[in-house]
Formats: sequence, C-alpha cells, structure tokens
Amino acid sequence: MTATQSTTAFSLARDSLQAHESSARLSRFRRRGYQRYRLVSSQVDLSLLWKRRWFIIAMVLGFLLMAAPTPSGLTHGGQIVLCMSIMATILFVSEAIPLPTVPLLIIVGQVVLLKVDPTRVAQSLMTDSVLFIMGSLMLAVAIVRQRLDKRIAWWIVSITGTNVYWISFGITVVCGVLAAFIGEHTVAAMMLPVGVTLISLTSNDPKKVHNLAAVILFSISYGCSIAGVATPSGGARNAIIISYWKDFFYDPADPASRRYLMDYLTWIYYAFPMFLLRLPIVAAILVFTFRPETTDMSRAISRLRTQVSMQGPMKVSEWTTVVIFLVTIIGWIMLSDTLGLGVIAIAGTVAFLVLGLVRWEDINSGVNWGVVLLYAASISLGVEMKATGAAEWVAASVLTGLNHIGAGSALGFNLIISLLTIGVSNTMTAGAAVAVLAPIVLKTAVVAHEDPISAGFITAISSAFGYLTPAAQPAFTIIYASGYLKGADFFKIGIRMMLLSIIVLLFLSSVYWPLLR
Amino acid sequence: MRNFFKRSQLSDRQESAVRKTLQNLRAQRRNRFRILACVSGTEEDDFTVRYAARFSISNDCDLIILHVRPIDQGLHSGGLQVRLARQNMMEAGFELPGVRYLKHALQVLSQEGIDPESWPRETDNQDAWGDPAGDTKVEYKSPQGRSVVLKLKTAPDVANGILDQYELGPYNLIVLGEPSRWRGEFKAFFDAGIVQQVTVLAPCSVLVVRKGPEKSGFFICTDGTSRSMQAVRRAAVLAHVTGEPITLFSVANTEQGRPAAEEAVYNAGALLKAMKIPVHETKVAVGNTIEEIVERGSLYKIIVVTDEGRSRFQRLFKGSTATDVVRKARTSVLDVR
Repeated sequence: MTATQSTTAFSLARDSLQAHESSARLSRFRRRGYQRYRLVSSQVDLSLLWKRRWFIIAMVLGFLLMAAPTPSGLTHGGQIVLCMSIMATILFVSEAIPLPTVPLLIIVGQVVLLKVDPTRVAQSLMTDSVLFIMGSLMLAVAIVRQRLDKRIAWWIVSITGTNVYWISFGITVVCGVLAAFIGEHTVAAMMLPVGVTLISLTSNDPKKVHNLAAVILFSISYGCSIAGVATPSGGARNAIIISYWKDFFYDPADPASRRYLMDYLTWIYYAFPMFLLRLPIVAAILVFTFRPETTDMSRAISRLRTQVSMQGPMKVSEWTTVVIFLVTIIGWIMLSDTLGLGVIAIAGTVAFLVLGLVRWEDINSGVNWGVVLLYAASISLGVEMKATGAAEWVAASVLTGLNHIGAGSALGFNLIISLLTIGVSNTMTAGAAVAVLAPIVLKTAVVAHEDPISAGFITAISSAFGYLTPAAQPAFTIIYASGYLKGADFFKIGIRMMLLSIIVLLFLSSVYWPLLR
Repeated sequence: MRNFFKRSQLSDRQESAVRKTLQNLRAQRRNRFRILACVSGTEEDDFTVRYAARFSISNDCDLIILHVRPIDQGLHSGGLQVRLARQNMMEAGFELPGVRYLKHALQVLSQEGIDPESWPRETDNQDAWGDPAGDTKVEYKSPQGRSVVLKLKTAPDVANGILDQYELGPYNLIVLGEPSRWRGEFKAFFDAGIVQQVTVLAPCSVLVVRKGPEKSGFFICTDGTSRSMQAVRRAAVLAHVTGEPITLFSVANTEQGRPAAEEAVYNAGALLKAMKIPVHETKVAVGNTIEEIVERGSLYKIIVVTDEGRSRFQRLFKGSTATDVVRKARTSVLDVR
C-alpha cells in the first residue's frame, strides 16, 4: 500500500484524538434503571466547590477565629468584627464569589453575628459619602455618553502641536484636571476612543506602533490616576476617608474637632500638590520608558481635524453638558459643607436626566451598582470596628509592632502606612482597601500621637499607587480593554512610578502638610 | 408537587425529543475532527492558529478559533462598567480587541492555504454577561461541509470560558499558546495560569504550542500500558495524516527497567506497523522520566505524552508526568486524553 493510500485510510475523527464522552459511563446507570440518579448527579457540580474554595476557607477560618478565646483587651463584639474583616479581605482578594456578594454577607453578618439592630445597619449603609459615590458614578455615565472626546482631543493638539511628547504631556494634564473632578474612570472611558483614534490614524498595524500606543494610552491612564486623589470627587476612596474622619473624630460639642469635617477646598490644599508634582514625573517616565516609533503625528492630527470639522460646531447639548459639569464642580467647592458632596452629585445627575441628555437606562446599565453596595457595607463595617473597640485594639497592637521594628518616628510611621496600603490595594480594589485599612490606620495614628488627617491622606493617596497590573486601577482596567497594551507594559512603567510617588508623598507629608495644620 | 422533583417541567415526550436532538447534534459533531484554537492577542497566536490549521487538513475537520474576553468581576473599573468604554470604542468605529485578534487569525489561516472568507458565512450574536458585544460567532462553511468558526466569548475568566466552550460542543483537541506562568500543585491552589488550568481540567487532548524555529516530527512517549498504547495509536494517526515522521520513546528510571522500556517501544512500533504507519526511529533512555522527555524531545516539533489515567481532580492535586512535561518542555507538547 502506498503512503497516500494508507493516509486516506485513516479518518482523524474516528482514528485520532477523541472527544471525551461524558455520557458513556452514565449510560450504564441508565441501562440499570438509575435514571433519577443520573439526573441528580448531572446537576451536582463538583467543580463549583473548587471554584468556591476560597469562600469555604474564609468561612471556616472566620468561624474558627470567632469561636477562639477572646484576646485580652478586646471585646467579643470586636473579635467578631475583626473576624468579619478578615473574611471580607480574603473574599475581596480571592474574588471567590462575585464581589457584590461580599457586602451582602457583611450586612447579614452585622445583624446575625453582631446582633446590631437591622434599622441601624440599614441607616449606616447610606451616608453622604455613599450617596456621593453613587451620584458621581451616575454623573460619570452621563458625561461619557455626551461624546466630547474628539473635541477635547482637538483642543489639546491645537495647543500642543504635532510632536508626540507634547501631545502626551497635554493629554496627561487635561485628563488629570478632568479626572480630579469627575473621577478617573470617567475620563479614561471618555478619552479611550481618542487615544485609539490617534494611534490607529498613525498606523493600522498595532505592532508597528506599540510604543506610541503605550505613550498615548499611559498618558490618559496616568493622567487620570495621579489626579484621582487631587479632590474629594476624584474617587470613592476619598469619600470613604472623609466619612471615616467624620465618624471617628467629629464631636459636635468640641469645636476643635471641626477640622475632621473635611471640606472640598481643604482637601484640595492637601492633595492637589500631589498631582502637580507628579505631572512632570509622568511625562519624563513615559519618555524614558517607551521610545515612540514616530514623534511626528501630523498625519493623525490632520485626520482628527477632519473628523472634528465633520461634527460641526458645538451643539446645545454639548454646551449644556459643559455648563452642568462646571456648576457641579462649583457646587462641590462652594456648598459641599452645607449640602454635602453626595447631594450635589445627585443634583448634577438629575439635571442631565431632566434635560434629556442621558437616559435612565444608560445610567442603569453603565453603573456597576455592586460597587455602591461594596463601599456602603465596607464603611458600615468600619464604623462597627470603631464602635466595638476593635480598631483601637488592633491599633495598639500595630503600634507595639511598629516600635519593635523602629518605625516609631513620624517618617517611619508614614512609610509603613503607605507601604501597607500599597500592598493591600495591589491585591484588591483601592476603595475596598481604604475601607478595610483606614479604621485601623486612623486609630493607630491617634495612639501613636500622629495626626489622623495626615494618616488618612497617606492611606487614601497610597491606595492609588497600585500601578503594577492592569487590574490595579480603574483607569488601567479601562485602557487595557483597548487591547493595545500588554500586562508587562504596566509593570515596566508602574514600578518606577510607584517608587517616585512614595518619595513625593513622604516629602509632602513631612514638609508641606505640617504647614497646613 | 410530583413535578417539583423532576429536572424540568417538560413532558417525558418533549424531554426525550430535546435529549434526542442534542444527542444527534453531538453525534454529528463526534463524526468530525473538531479543533478549538484559543487566541489571546499575543505573539504566540500565529503559531497556535498555524498548528491548528495544519492539523485540520481534511474535510471532516472543523476549526473553531476562540477568543475569551473576561468580564470585570472584581469591580476593578471602580464602578463604571468597562462595557461603557467598549461601547464608546464601538460607537467610534473601532473594533474590540478580540475581533482584531480573530481577523488576524483569518489572515494566518489564508497563509496556511485555508481561505474561509470565500465560503458562505453565518453570524450569530447573543447577549452574555451584559457585555455590548456579548458572545459573537461567525461560521464559515465550505461547500464540502468543512467549517471554520470565529468565536468571541465573554466569561468571568479566560480559563473557565475555554472550558465552558468545550461543554458547548465536544472537541477533539484544544490548542493553546505557551504558558506565561505555570505553578506547582500547591501554588496553583492559590493562583493558576490560564494554560495550566485548561491543561489540567480539559476533558479532551490539549496541545500547548511554543514558538521557535521550525522543527519536524512527533516525539511520542510511551510507558507500555494499554492506555499509553491507545494514546500512541491516536497520536500516530495524527502525525501520519499530517505527514510528520514518528519517533517512539520510552524511559526507564533505572538500568533494570531498560528491558521493559525497550519492550514498550517495541510493542508500540509493532502496533503502528500493524496499522501500516511507518516509524522513523525508536529511542530508549534511562534516567528521570520528565527530564529525559524534555531534553530529548526538544529537537522535535511536538512531544506527545499521556496522562496516567488520572481524573481531573487527581491531576489538580497530584499533577502528572504529562503536565510536568507540558510545563518544562522547550517545544510544543500534546497531552493526549
């Protein structure tokens, strides 16, 4: 037989690798009359146990710790809260169950395990900070839906010219300024099409312009990321820390404690320099890390000009968007201590809805409501940590540990807080990291005779230093969705940015913030 | 109440009709050699698609090219759905990354002599996990009945998306790119890579493709067991049909085991001879099984290994020689199941 004849004698489907026949073994049962057994077994999914292994571990560990003898100095309620925090942290990090399930478990745990009155739990869930997080997310969807991206891009390049380094710097500045007020995810989602436009107009082959793509897209994401801490409305973490300052330290009977009611402008005084100082750093790091394949983008920009001119002049709806946006920012700056940040954000969203600039359906599908639940329950758990004395007990233990390792000085204390927060926020979403850590950090600051305001700022700002992976920051996650960047790119630039950011933060906390007290 | 304990509310007759339809569909698919090639937008994609195309040589072969897009389950986007950014990109006229990768795969296929774009095509889209693009399938069907499917799938994570796709229609072979990380069984409990998860948990054979200079030949390993002989037979058919020379190989742990290894190779050779499949060469080595396979197999295009009959859960906790070879090899490895 010739080779050709023998080759045709084989059928790959019949003679070569076989697909697994799951029903073959079960057919024996069926033949024996065990139909019902087969039906039940087909619905028992053992792999679900594997997928949920971290959930099982968290539950077993948590309940074992709850049953263990209560350490001296800690109340039984405090022990339960700490165990719940450990369980929540494991679930946040492992993502063993859909994350919105974790806050639901926290709510159930507060009522069932801590015996807190259900009405009190419900009330603790909806604070001004939570309202603000919810409002700013709705506002974000409304703004993103207006598609102002190309006009903003055109405005940037008409100032910067056609050199890619200047364009990159311009994008970082503009994205930063916008993200400082409306949240990093909003600006990243809004500006992503512009970034991709500039890249794709330069070359259709992404591999040929990988470095250029990295410079443009990282300009957007880093612009957003470094500005996310600049104002209270830049991110949920900021609202959470403001909420903790109020809940932990504000006493209406004590006028001195009014400084813990952080207003919009005071936050800007503290945190905006963090954005300004890092602007040139981002520009320099981008240039040195990624050398773009081309520095002249005149071809892409002339096409962008054509696209913008085809859109015609600014429409009424676009002007209205700009006006609502500016009025909301002015409201946050001028009226936040009377109306609260949340109500102003909600009012902005209402304006968009009433004027028909966005549909409720768009808001409903664009906001991840699980995040609102997550932050609400985390803040509520943080408040219980304070109420049961758990935060204070952990703070005392932490301080003893800090003194042992020689981190008792202000600089050492700040560095440890910063590193701890960065470590935690690299493993879970930044807002959750702040929600879990802040009660302990703030109480430790009090025990260590450090300023809780500084400690809170360090926690909130450091939580934005998770630069190493695409999942570490909202803006990174969104930019990564474009498909132009690799996971390794984030690490390459992120490690440098993280180290420099820590240095800038320690400088501000040691030199600048003491001047503001 | 009687129906409460039943699996569905369908009548027995309807239920049996539905089951029969599904059985027919699966039986039809079982008559075809179905390859699932997974692309992720990396440089290895070219090799993955190329290997899949080279194995899909006859009209009874179907090629399904899959890209799985993970949904943001960890709320990493800070509360604003990533779908909004994706929707923005789509409205601005840009293709989602996965579409780009699949289109590139089509180009690679045409370089390999398969030109599905000249065949009639059908598109199917269904909503999945609330993503604007959802699950999209484009099927090209040649007049001879051969099909090439491009599938963009949304799933909570990539590995589970690939394994779910297997459940949708049985596949003979899953082709994946080189693993970026592969952890031991203990570390994998905490965090395993995509290729590792799929290799360990897939119910069918898995080919892990590594890029590198063009080599030739199937380096088929056997330990002489009946299971291993089955794997030799099936892998040899694939090698023979695709025109690759076959090398049979067995390892003895000690010098005393050499006769048994030689016998295993001899038996495998005899089996293939009976099937009229030529064997290019046979080799026997003494030493550590994994090291010897990896070392000697590195000169060939594909190392073929088989699981020692371990179940998915045994593989998960104990690992196997096959998974260790997949992990450490410097060339592509076919894990036959």
